[in-house]
Amino acid sequence: MDTIHACFKEKIGEVLLPGDVFSFRLPESGDGSIKTEKIICGPGLRRNGEEVQVCKSGILRHKQPNMYWIDSQQRRYVPAKGESVIGVVTSKSGDIFKVDVGGSEQASLSYLAFEGATKRNRPNVQVGDLVYGQFTIANKDMEPELVCIDSCGRANGMGVFGADGLLFKVSLGLVRRLLAPQSEIIKDLEKIFPFELVVGMNGRVWVKAKTVQQTLIVTNLLETSENMTSQQRQTLFKRVAEGSL
Amino acid sequence: MMAHVFVCDGIALTTVARQQHILITGWAAEVVRFPVFCVIHALYCCSISLNTHRNLLEISHKICVRIHLHLESRSERLCSTEDCIPGTGTYLRHGYIFASLTGYVLRKNEGEELPVISVVRETETQLLPDVGAIVTCKVTSINPRFAKVHILYVGSTPLKDRFRGTIRKEDVRATEKDKVETYKSFRPGDIVLAKVISLGDVQSNYLLTTAENELGVVVAHSEAGAQMVPISWCEMQCPRTHAKEFRKVARVQPEYLQA
Repeated sequence: MDTIHACFKEKIGEVLLPGDVFSFRLPESGDGSIKTEKIICGPGLRRNGEEVQVCKSGILRHKQPNMYWIDSQQRRYVPAKGESVIGVVTSKSGDIFKVDVGGSEQASLSYLAFEGATKRNRPNVQVGDLVYGQFTIANKDMEPELVCIDSCGRANGMGVFGADGLLFKVSLGLVRRLLAPQSEIIKDLEKIFPFELVVGMNGRVWVKAKTVQQTLIVTNLLETSENMTSQQRQTLFKRVAEGSL
Repeated sequence: MMAHVFVCDGIALTTVARQQHILITGWAAEVVRFPVFCVIHALYCCSISLNTHRNLLEISHKICVRIHLHLESRSERLCSTEDCIPGTGTYLRHGYIFASLTGYVLRKNEGEELPVISVVRETETQLLPDVGAIVTCKVTSINPRFAKVHILYVGSTPLKDRFRGTIRKEDVRATEKDKVETYKSFRPGDIVLAKVISLGDVQSNYLLTTAENELGVVVAHSEAGAQMVPISWCEMQCPRTHAKEFRKVARVQPEYLQA
């Protein structure tokens, strides 16, 4: 009965490679006492008939009651519907802007997809601007489409931003850690000095602090905290806080 | 075509250009026929192998030039107007019927009148999709506004060339046309049954519609690569991964299904 959960549980926290297979041999007895279990396979796991295959390399994670997924470190971003990303406007053609989001194709952003934009009242977007928007269409068969407006018609923090500051690229795993509800990295960074931060799920982060030096310090801290344990990170942040004060 | 006679130094080289062929009477007094495109090469080779009579080379150049100038008409004279009536691929000139296409000659007898002579490229006529015909097509690319397809079959006859068709977003369904998402109706690689609504202009493709119960996706492959099984009019399921995908599914008539 617990065969499936047991199979997974012994591998939680272990590094798995693509091609690893979890196969379940269901007991042949037709008692009727077999409970059906429901397992949710998250990203990196795929069902193939009677077995579950791993398709990405990473660490197996578990969330109660029955969700399993592979936590992988990847730098290449694949657009997915609903994700908020930072894009750079590359060209304007007619009614749409072409935005580079780091994927295989450039996304299109209609000029009407901004708050308060009408056919007469065009938004003030130039080539080279940074935009924060969400995907409405993002799949492997069509060109992705961005909007800077939510379903109610409000901007909700999206749109053009970034007069100053610095845009840099990190891996997707770090971005997910930064966007987690109670992110330790953010909390530790806040104690050093105040700064503005925009995190896009395509691995792009934008930082702005009071001076250029502080901006660069925050950038370096974020990039290095990718490969450090939390203890190492905290000691580093403490050293920086003492050094800068 | 014109006839030219060249005589030079004992070698009588007669060229009679007639009916896409050139007759060369060489010094061996043989009549040799060559089609136009290889006569020039033949002349050149001939002149070299004979250890060139200089005039022969000049003649070959002249022939090249002359042939080049007169190669527009490649008509073959078929018969006179008294014998047949001209059909497709032929034309009338000076009381004779000439061919205007390269192909096979067809003679059709129609009762007491003279037979109709025509030239066709292929012996079977191509079946073209007509307005209202049910066609089988394959989706090549999708767009938020329309889907591009290649038309493979008209009814149950396969086509030799692939015609291009377009299924617009508003022609996918009969109801709730503005809520249609092409990504949830078709994917590239699907086989779709559709009906022709318009033949289109010179530049545009055939316009197709799937706005009926019997029209829509017939065969589709899932992202895992297995052929999917339809569950409802808008969903199909992969038998391997059990993942459901959205398509606009056709309700095939029971008589077309193989048990």
